[in-house]
Amino acid sequence: MGKQLFRYSEEHKEKFLESENITFNDGSVVTSEEIWHYLTVEGPKKYPGSFEVNLYQGNRNSRDETLPTSLKTHYLGLTFSDRMEKAKDRGKSIAFIQGGQAVDPYTAADTIALRPGLVNQWNRDLVHGNDINKEFLRRKELKEKAFHDMSFEACQTGGYEHIQAGNLRVDVIAPFTVLRCSDVSYGVEAHRHGPNKNVKLINVDYPLRHQADKPWAIEYFAQNLRKLVGTLDEVTGRTTSEEDLLASIKLHNEGRRLGTELSELWWSTDVPPTNSADRASLVGLGNLDNHGDVRASLSVLKEAKKFIAERVKNGVKGHAVPDNPKRIFILGSCVGINTARSEDSGAIVVGKDDQWSHCSTLVEEEGDPFYNLAKYTLEYPYEQSIEKRAQWTIEQIKKSRADGVIFIHNWGCNTQAAVARPILDVIKREIGIPTYIQERDLHGLQHEQEQNRVNAFIEML
Amino acid sequence: MSIKTLEKVRKRLEERPEELKRAREDGRKVVGWVGYNVPEEIIHALGFIPVRIAVGGDDRLVEVGARYASSKTCVFIREIVGAFAENQDPFIQQTDFLAFDATCLQNYRAAEVIEYFFKKDVVVLGVPRNFDWDEAKQYFAHEANEFTRLLEERAEAPLDASRLAESVALYNDIRKTLKSIYVFQAAKDNVISWEEVYDLIQAGELLDKQEYLSLLQQTLAELQELQQNPVIEGDDGNSRLFISGSLIPRGDRKLIGIIKSVGGRIVGDDLWSGILPHLDLDIKEISPAGVALAYLNRTPHAALPYLDLASDKRLKKLHELLSESKAQGVIYHTLRYCDPFTFKAKETKNVLAKSGIPLLEIHTEYAGSDYEAMKTRVEAFVEMIKIKSEITEEEGVLADA
Repeated sequence: MGKQLFRYSEEHKEKFLESENITFNDGSVVTSEEIWHYLTVEGPKKYPGSFEVNLYQGNRNSRDETLPTSLKTHYLGLTFSDRMEKAKDRGKSIAFIQGGQAVDPYTAADTIALRPGLVNQWNRDLVHGNDINKEFLRRKELKEKAFHDMSFEACQTGGYEHIQAGNLRVDVIAPFTVLRCSDVSYGVEAHRHGPNKNVKLINVDYPLRHQADKPWAIEYFAQNLRKLVGTLDEVTGRTTSEEDLLASIKLHNEGRRLGTELSELWWSTDVPPTNSADRASLVGLGNLDNHGDVRASLSVLKEAKKFIAERVKNGVKGHAVPDNPKRIFILGSCVGINTARSEDSGAIVVGKDDQWSHCSTLVEEEGDPFYNLAKYTLEYPYEQSIEKRAQWTIEQIKKSRADGVIFIHNWGCNTQAAVARPILDVIKREIGIPTYIQERDLHGLQHEQEQNRVNAFIEML
Repeated sequence: MSIKTLEKVRKRLEERPEELKRAREDGRKVVGWVGYNVPEEIIHALGFIPVRIAVGGDDRLVEVGARYASSKTCVFIREIVGAFAENQDPFIQQTDFLAFDATCLQNYRAAEVIEYFFKKDVVVLGVPRNFDWDEAKQYFAHEANEFTRLLEERAEAPLDASRLAESVALYNDIRKTLKSIYVFQAAKDNVISWEEVYDLIQAGELLDKQEYLSLLQQTLAELQELQQNPVIEGDDGNSRLFISGSLIPRGDRKLIGIIKSVGGRIVGDDLWSGILPHLDLDIKEISPAGVALAYLNRTPHAALPYLDLASDKRLKKLHELLSESKAQGVIYHTLRYCDPFTFKAKETKNVLAKSGIPLLEIHTEYAGSDYEAMKTRVEAFVEMIKIKSEITEEEGVLADA
């Protein structure tokens, strides 16, 4: 039986063509007409999986076509792999980083920073024509190799298998380590025994325990950032100055500010202006790291804010959002629920702590940029003690007016799993809303039993 | 043949909880410590009684711990958390406060969870991952000073330099004596087994340090009387095995028992619950930072990543210890969800294979359900080493002929 495929409707083309172009880091511009052509002609051929109607993967048979920036994030996602290949052909440097960290120093050093999910996406989309199941099988096979080389208890392997096989031209493995995850730290070390000797390695060492209150911890992390920039410069052959870093901080602060404003706009109304997936993809632009191109993310983000403001003003409800949905806040690293199915069950995801923690605060722009960036990083709310992290989370839950909280952790993610219960304990103690902990498999398809629990939770709410 | 002092050690261990209780009634404070880089000398010099919290082998406690710290945390940490939840362990019961280090991230999480759920006062020492950088050493020196300040607050007295010097001297003597004793277990016609020495090392985690030194010296004297010149020979007819990997704390003797039951002889280890923490600890400066840096400069814990395989100190030390003990194979013990060691298992196997040393990874937890499966694998490994040894011997004979 053939797969049912989604197609963007011609009826929305005209409005889309009125929207803005996207400008990229290298100064190139893609027009809305070119984007429309890609989304309707080229994209569906190359990546049928992305257009497959499969509710189990969160792919509906309809999308929010009247929200042009939603289409643009789809475009940026679909073209990501090709753009990374082209960037490498032009001699651009690419670094592997940790999820949940800002990328200001990498931008300053003219390096594209890719977190594990993006590395996997790059590799996935090198192959064209796969449907969801074919791609899943291919990914599983590759992961098995990585588990064999690292540990079968790894929650995720950070694209080790693609980088070491030489499939991806990543120049440097340079994540902030033990920030929210320990597997990435061991993963960096694993590269030392792989066959690819061309990839440089550096641990950017994130100190633990009341780190933001200790001047010596901030100074130590600032030194790590200096060494990181030095290592990135060894690859690019350029010299990154403090001015470069300050300029990058200012640029990223603009993204963080816009991301925060967009999120607050979204939260400000009782009528959700987008569905959960669109909210996540647009707010996520605030970190400017989602699509391997800082300028492109910023240009879509600016435009998205205008569209959301207009929708909030006119009381427009997002596509496929149920009436009076139950509002759910998600906690945990590298996780999410099937938002389409959850919306069908009467809920909406109103926020996540992951990726939001480092977007919601700004870096000081006066003074030593390395020190300021170090201080800001060590103050990530997500990385604080149980009580402190929980208090920040409670603030976000209150702002988003969530009715319930789900803490999800991936199988093998002991760093987040260990604090799931105490974090939820504080939330229940302080604001008394329902919570539960869910474990999931990072590499699996969305399982029915997982959705069963989510649905039961929504029903209970 | 039995060493009389070992009996004395066992007896003193049984009496120790009651002794700690009395000491606390007299106003002393007991500090339970967990980690690899906790500079115990500082705790001791401030007049506290240090006891290492390292319990294992009880799958019921593991289940209890999982309720608080999730079932995805390493087995050892789950048991520790479970032990605090139940508060039945006689040593845990006597702790006034706890000192953890952040060497292993799961250790650190355990500190947070114990602090939160069981309202324990916990002092944590930050540990840098880039431990070989000068900047990291400066950071760690600051952390050691901060750690000391927090302990001083709890001691309600400053750290006295001469007391610290005395503690360092005492601990140096303990380490030196342990090293001397350790040689005997690996020797030909050994009068003490590795298992006995291992228990003796772990007794030191709980006993009074001055008394412990005296017991070690008595043990050494007995050994020297029984075996004046211990010689380590590689080909003594046994399958000479070395244990590496995740720690094996008090209460967990499953793997060790299996090795013994199938005729393997353990002749060395690099476990952080064994001899390793006592090696290469060279304190150059009598100060909190000086002591702490000496800890950091030892063979690093597997939780601290090191990015150059060729100059990895942990692997170099493993080779050195294998050579000293003349071990013929390595049993690499990994606990469920113990990432620091499971991530390195295959790499360590490949590195040792280049030196012709076979490695068997045993991945386990504290349940008894995998006992027979482990036994089959260990037995096959022991047999393989014996056969390999016999073939080498035959080849030697033929070559000589």
